Amino acid sequence: MGEEILRMEEIDKSFPGVHALDHVHFNLNRGEVHALMGENGAGKSTLMKVLTGIYSKDSGKIIYEGKEVEFHNTREAQDAGIVIVHQELNMVGDLTVAQNIFIGREFMSGIKINDRKMVEESKKLFDRLHIEINPTEKMSNLTVGKQQMCEIAKAISHECKVIIFDEPSAALTEKEIDDLFTIIRDLREQNMGIIYISHRMDEIKVITDRVTVMRDGTYVGTLITKDCTKDDIVKMMVGRVIYEQPKEKSLVPDDAPVVLKVDHLNAGKMVQDVSFELHKGEILGFSGLMGAGRTETARAVFGADPKQSGDIYINGKKVEINSPEDAVHHGIGYLSEDRKRYGVVVQKSITENSTLACLDDYISGIFINKAKEKEAAETYIKELDTKTPSADQLVVNLSGGNQQKIVIAKWLVKNCDILIFDEPTRGIDVGAKNEIYKLMNRLASEGKSIIMISSEMQEILRMSDRIVIMCEGKKTGELKIEEATQEKIMDKATRDIK
Amino acid sequence: MEKFKNSAFVKKVGFNRIVLIGVLILMYVIFCVAIKGFLGSSHLMGTLNYVYFLGFLSLGVTFVIATGGIDFSIGPVMFCCALISGYCFGTYHVPMAVAVILCILVGLLFGMFNGYLVAYWDVPPFIVSMASMNIAKGVASIFTKTQSISWPRAEEAGGWFRSIVKVGEFPMGLILFLVGAAICAVILNNTRIGRYILCLGSNKEAVRLSGVNVKKWLMLAYVICGILVGIAALFFVATYTTVQPNYGDQYNNEAIAGCVMGGTSMAGGLASIGGTVIGVFIIALLQEGILALGLAKDVQLIITGVIVIVAVYADVLARRRRK
Amino acid sequence: MEKTKKKSVLSLFSNQKYIVILVVILLAAIFMIASADFRKYTTFVTLLDMSYYYVLMGIGVAFPLITGGVDLSIGTGMVCYALVGGYLVRNAGVPVIVGILVALLFGIGIGALNGVLVAVMDLPAFLATLCTCMITRGLGSLLTFKSTVPWPTDKQPGGWFHTIFKITLANNTKIPLGFLWVIILTIIMAFVLKHTKFGRYVIAIGSNKEATILSGINVKFFHIMAYVVCGLFAGLAAIPYASAIPTIQPGTGAGVELDAIGGAIVGGVSATGGSGSIEGTFFGVYVICLLKVGLPFIGLQANWQQVITGAILIGTVMIDIVKKRRAVATGQAVA
Repeated sequence: MGEEILRMEEIDKSFPGVHALDHVHFNLNRGEVHALMGENGAGKSTLMKVLTGIYSKDSGKIIYEGKEVEFHNTREAQDAGIVIVHQELNMVGDLTVAQNIFIGREFMSGIKINDRKMVEESKKLFDRLHIEINPTEKMSNLTVGKQQMCEIAKAISHECKVIIFDEPSAALTEKEIDDLFTIIRDLREQNMGIIYISHRMDEIKVITDRVTVMRDGTYVGTLITKDCTKDDIVKMMVGRVIYEQPKEKSLVPDDAPVVLKVDHLNAGKMVQDVSFELHKGEILGFSGLMGAGRTETARAVFGADPKQSGDIYINGKKVEINSPEDAVHHGIGYLSEDRKRYGVVVQKSITENSTLACLDDYISGIFINKAKEKEAAETYIKELDTKTPSADQLVVNLSGGNQQKIVIAKWLVKNCDILIFDEPTRGIDVGAKNEIYKLMNRLASEGKSIIMISSEMQEILRMSDRIVIMCEGKKTGELKIEEATQEKIMDKATRDIK
Repeated sequence: MEKFKNSAFVKKVGFNRIVLIGVLILMYVIFCVAIKGFLGSSHLMGTLNYVYFLGFLSLGVTFVIATGGIDFSIGPVMFCCALISGYCFGTYHVPMAVAVILCILVGLLFGMFNGYLVAYWDVPPFIVSMASMNIAKGVASIFTKTQSISWPRAEEAGGWFRSIVKVGEFPMGLILFLVGAAICAVILNNTRIGRYILCLGSNKEAVRLSGVNVKKWLMLAYVICGILVGIAALFFVATYTTVQPNYGDQYNNEAIAGCVMGGTSMAGGLASIGGTVIGVFIIALLQEGILALGLAKDVQLIITGVIVIVAVYADVLARRRRK
Repeated sequence: MEKTKKKSVLSLFSNQKYIVILVVILLAAIFMIASADFRKYTTFVTLLDMSYYYVLMGIGVAFPLITGGVDLSIGTGMVCYALVGGYLVRNAGVPVIVGILVALLFGIGIGALNGVLVAVMDLPAFLATLCTCMITRGLGSLLTFKSTVPWPTDKQPGGWFHTIFKITLANNTKIPLGFLWVIILTIIMAFVLKHTKFGRYVIAIGSNKEATILSGINVKFFHIMAYVVCGLFAGLAAIPYASAIPTIQPGTGAGVELDAIGGAIVGGVSATGGSGSIEGTFFGVYVICLLKVGLPFIGLQANWQQVITGAILIGTVMIDIVKKRRAVATGQAVA
């Protein structure tokens, strides 16, 4: 490990309603692989975005190569030698690998693009990284893993000194991860500073020199990898004071009937042989880190995405669910993660959104019974305490929390017995959060059955009767609330150190 | 100005529509002043004649644009309907009533064809339109052996169908058009079809995830359009008698212009039948005025093209603001 | 070593470009076998004569198509440019070369307008070019005061431009020289698409506009240029059009764009952008032209060609969609 190349001091950044970074520290040495860990929403990505100029910090200092710097966009950071390999690939599928790597800075001979030179230079890059990829291959023909390697090669072709990897292994196979590590070791040997953002414990142990943990936007601490254990890291990741009392005991009787049974569900890489049961009146928490496959599982159960195999039983009877239409017909409602994109039709009114799932019930003859519709909408506006001047208000004008209430209202108007809430309180202020928790509890006590997908530990522990934990497409654990702790959950949500 | 905008009357009718009505009235006044003899029933009749068939075309395409799609095969399809059913009447001697039904049926079939490809096969609407347009032209040509077809005059056998336009001097067509528009407005605003069409035009995925069979309703929008195109064909021949194969393109643009001018958004989800009606009147009046001015039809084409660009750009800007 | 798929002869034929060549040969063969008249040399010349403006339009429209857009104004545009240029020659006495230049410049101008409407003002391409289609139709008629315009015939002064396309030998055989130019232009534009920055970025824009913007490329400029090139070629197409059609009539031209666009898509240009080739477009347009000219020889009215072209267009796009769906289902691609 060489001398320090990067130091971030007292970085502070706030967005409306959320203090994303609270006096965070981070430093990086040359020839080091430094892991940046934390739960979803801990602030890792935000910190890197501040570093590379995508966000501007509110206060704090960034010292790079001994000088204080401030980057205003990624181009500036890139020119200075700081490059980030994003999680979402930015590749042009119809062009070849070489053409993608050098897009925007092609080698020219006159007006002709010198593709041959680009292929040669690409080969050199790949040799340097010990990757076997054919530079003349069309990008869209490569697996996601290989495309990521190209993204890395592209980053390195920029003569950089610091590389940031943002969750690089999420889409890679075992072999590809090994290749990735070989590349990273090479880069380390070439005296580059490498920041490795990941939540995978085993990888951290294998490839990194130091680990910095963030939690809820704050800096928790830095450990030397070879001197620490998984437990140490987990404790740092979750060691918050829980100011909300976790649910002490579930009120759901042990012999409550099973309303939903999912058996050996397979839907691509993110849902591998998942099985679970949901009892009447219970809130089943789905915990796990980003990319665990919880949303994908829910969508497969709901028929929103195709599945390869698996059986679904409702109240003991096997049902065929191949589309959301089927699912809704069987009484399942799904509140998606991104409510603005998938939950509500923002340019329409509250009333129109409320009856969208069961419009047939509001038809008299061939006409929509608008009075009845409005009445239903207003009933739930009152019940859910939605802040709006009237039921005719367009959803786009409501706050996040109230928009979420409209989505909930939609499924209540339909009278679904099984509700899947995917990140129900994301982006919602504390006051509205509590209202939604109260509502969920009331629904459960009225006999509805709820699956709650959440990345917030507080939420999981406060609301769930039982908890299912997923990790990388597989169900890794199931806990009753009485025996659940943050550590146990996080342990199952992260891969084991081999 | 703000007070005017927020007054109850304006809110009910819609600010855009009031502006449009204003434009319409202004245009009429200008034409009456600038053109000798414009004021009077003959030009009014000329305008109305244009309104009838164009109006139904516009109404039809409103449903399609409301889903965020497009259909510019409507002109040639309209002609295809009139040609095929007219040929059957003239050469196969089917009764007029059957010819009328056949006319609408052909429109319905094209609507199903277009809608099926767009909804179930995800073919981009503009490609379906292009292909449909030429298939309509070709089929019509082949069917009538490239002849143009004249529908019977009022006094001839079967000429009773002309009463949809005029009963004596009474403009029956206007009544029927307004009734048709009213029915469309009811369908769009008060029935399941309309609700689903508008919602899926605004956010198709959210509607799908609410358990709605979006493919079915998307296709239906094109079917409704097809039916209205068939009806438009009847009004066209009731007014202008003769239809030729390989024609009809210009009416596409005018119909879309009337629709877009009236406030229907190209992005989908927002549609106004009332606006479409006023838009159609504006286009028809424009065409009549330009003809009376002795200017070529070409001027009207250019103006219509510019109007659509302006209207759609205004919509683009409005959408950016809404976000 | 990464296993690269051996380019077997079979996989070559899954490339649409090569399928189109096969189809051209097949169609020509069918018509030649079915009709003795079709085998005549004069038929061959006629076919080529009427093909030039389609091919040029096709080459031009391939560029907006590859960016994921379209240009529906090429048909009426071409007629408009031919009208205006010819009007100046016929009525204002300008030399033919100036008339040609005017046509080209006018085409470039409308192309630029289209480019601005689509790339800068964000209007949907089909709508913006539908409007310019109307506008050019109106302009063509207006600027020539509604007259029909005949360009000079080959006997009249200024008629030299016909010889660009056809040379008549002493014994009255006609040599379709235009075919040569068209092939040369195809080769040039194929090079432009594959090997110049402009072509490269046109493909990138159609494939993934966001990623292209993020790479720091001036996307607006290249996007507009795609439409300018299209306009230029519509202007170019006006010349063989003027040569082929003795008297150009205002108000015509609509529907011609389907043949050019259809030809491009049959030749492998993706309807949603991002891929395609100029060579493929060349052959695709000839499929359409062969149908146009050949069908009457086997007793089918020319209008069948319209129906068949429409069906082929839809069929080609549907096959493309099926391929894409299959790739998503087997997990090879991200939806």
